[in-house]
Amino acid sequence: MIPKSGNRFSDKIMRKENSDEAPPRGALAARYVDFRDSIKRDHLLWVVLALGPIFALFCIIRVYPILETIRLSFYRYHPTQRNRPFVGLDNYWRLLEDDSFRTALTNTLQFCVMAVIITLTLAFLVAVLLRSIEKAAPVYELLLYIPVVTPWVPASVIWKWIFDPIHGILNYGLSFLGIPKLAWLQDEHVIIYAIVLVSVWKMLGYFVVVYGVGLRNIPDELLEAAELDGATAWQRLIYIVIPMMKPIILFTVIIATIIFFNVFAPVYVLTASAQGAPAYDFKVVIGEIYQNAFVFYRMGYAGAQSVALLIFVLMLVMIQFALFRDRRGRADV
Amino acid sequence: MLRRLLIAAACLLLSVQLGAAQNTVKGKISIWLGYPETLEAFKLGQVEFRKKYPNVEVEILTFELREFEAKLAVSVPAGSGPDILALHDFIFPRYYEGGNLAEMPADLAKDVNDPKIIDPVFRDVLTRDGKPWGMPWWSGRNGLFYNIDHLKAAGLDGPPKTYAEVWQYAEKLTQKNEKGELTRAGISLRLTGPSGGTQKFGYFYYQLAGEQMFEPGKKPGTVRVTIAQHIDAAARVLLDHVEHLHGPKKSDDWALKHDAQGFASGAAAMFMRESWVIPFVKKNGPDIKFGVVPVPHDKAWGAFNNLEILSVNKDSKLQAAAWDFIRILQDQAIVNNVLEGSGWVPIRHDRDYGAVLAKEPRFAEMTTPPAGLTLYIEAPNVAYEEMTTRVGEVIQNAFRDASLVGNLDGAKKVMMKAHETAVKILKDNGNYSE
Repeated sequence: MIPKSGNRFSDKIMRKENSDEAPPRGALAARYVDFRDSIKRDHLLWVVLALGPIFALFCIIRVYPILETIRLSFYRYHPTQRNRPFVGLDNYWRLLEDDSFRTALTNTLQFCVMAVIITLTLAFLVAVLLRSIEKAAPVYELLLYIPVVTPWVPASVIWKWIFDPIHGILNYGLSFLGIPKLAWLQDEHVIIYAIVLVSVWKMLGYFVVVYGVGLRNIPDELLEAAELDGATAWQRLIYIVIPMMKPIILFTVIIATIIFFNVFAPVYVLTASAQGAPAYDFKVVIGEIYQNAFVFYRMGYAGAQSVALLIFVLMLVMIQFALFRDRRGRADV
Repeated sequence: MLRRLLIAAACLLLSVQLGAAQNTVKGKISIWLGYPETLEAFKLGQVEFRKKYPNVEVEILTFELREFEAKLAVSVPAGSGPDILALHDFIFPRYYEGGNLAEMPADLAKDVNDPKIIDPVFRDVLTRDGKPWGMPWWSGRNGLFYNIDHLKAAGLDGPPKTYAEVWQYAEKLTQKNEKGELTRAGISLRLTGPSGGTQKFGYFYYQLAGEQMFEPGKKPGTVRVTIAQHIDAAARVLLDHVEHLHGPKKSDDWALKHDAQGFASGAAAMFMRESWVIPFVKKNGPDIKFGVVPVPHDKAWGAFNNLEILSVNKDSKLQAAAWDFIRILQDQAIVNNVLEGSGWVPIRHDRDYGAVLAKEPRFAEMTTPPAGLTLYIEAPNVAYEEMTTRVGEVIQNAFRDASLVGNLDGAKKVMMKAHETAVKILKDNGNYSE
């Protein structure tokens, strides 16, 4: 006899649990029981069988290329040359004196800092504002999310037209404010802002949605109690919302850092087709790796650059973890 | 009489046998192209080829140039590349040195070695150990393109003939608006895209220095860097660029549309490029009245050429058929199609391009170089892309430096840096020549 609680959902669960104990009838049921028992008995085997193919695939398409890249970084490897000697750490020493790589690293770092700060600050502000118009928020989130699902290449091509110094709509719009024409993609000092602008536009919606989820999980009672105690909106933001959002903020900072540090497609598209519409050759780390690997065919050196990038991003993430640690000394995630 | 009849019968039998042999050949020939504008010519060749080899399928794929180069670099050494390798001169050494090229049949090699058919400058690029390893097919030859209306409006009778006149004409042809912003370049210079930029900078350098910045070295595949030797010429060319990008002589700006697009849209009065520009401007700027002349000279007079080479993959299972396809591509109708359709210049002297020239006389400047004009070609080497890219970065960064205006010593320092950059890369790749 199953006692009824009055709650239809919990009653259903209880009936299901109870039915697990009762011996099922028929051949099919018997097979099911055997199967269930074998899972309980050989749990590890079933886990391996279930995850094995996924893990194998992961090893083939993720782990193996990483290990192979590390191996290549110790060789002078040109795909069309038969002689591929082991060069030890030469490729890494070369990194230290490579002006192009240094420029690319500096550019990428500057771009990444700007893009992360602007994107996340804007996303947080928009998410907070959207929380005050709860009913209309999904519509705005959807609108902001459209650029996220737009592939980088067509998005960058559209922005290339917008940035055109003579025929572009951006300069045309700015001219009404009395701002002189800017060579967005041609001026070596301006191009970084153009790329930041495109990147912020592209990724803002994603982080608005993430922050939106985080904000919705803050209990209303907390905010109402603070309001009753006389806390201003600013105080509620600083002392309740931001501390409660710390794990989400850490997540977004890490994800944004990884995304923006790997910037390539917008830079490539915005500065490509240099013959007709010239653009400044803005170097980024992934662009340098691409050029060394697939234009100069210095696969070994490109491998060393990739390993250096991996280490650099890992260090950045570790620094971010350290900065966001709570007072008890553990990562607040 | 009987003897002659017997010989004729034997010849007939042999040709029938050969035809039968071709009919029995089965399989597939694959061709990859990085210059899709020549696809039409390959399709014409395909039709003729299928008549000879009805059982051989021909697959022709076109790719964006960089993608094409990357696919070749990965697939050919692995033994899975196309049967016919349409190689540009600067990627040719990769495949020769990689041992990926099949030996050339004697009849085609004889054509390559005949100076009446192929200019020796092209033969030398693809000859190793005394043997040619491919059939040079077409070249991109540069010239100076000028807008007839712009010149007329500026009171200029004709295009510039000397290096110095180029810059004087550029200043006269430049147009500015009331704010002083350039609305038309007197000459569209190559300001971005470092590898191509090095090449275009070299168009000027050659006329002043009398040789290229990177000349073939003592051994095939090696390179001699000449910038330090001609440092005055190199600095002069750099200064002329800088002074026409900044200050009162300013004749070009990064914000303007450039190259063939700029010229076809009327945003540039002059620029230097290869013959493919002729069909491009006719298509994209039908209202533009333009002419083309050989590049203006200084102490030397030389025209840059790049070269398309047809070779056969050593791993091809149908090498004989692939060479036959290359033979077919030498047909008059097909080389005419290359010239007319793509604007690239077929280089065989034993073909008559009159039919195309009657329709488009401007090609004559490219197909029939005037006496005294030297044809030169870059020194192919495995480090070509890296060297020209890095040198181009040095030069194009200097274009942006207004402090170099009137600063000859500064310009010399920049060009010495370009020299050292090239030497370092060549040494690193083991193909530097003193």
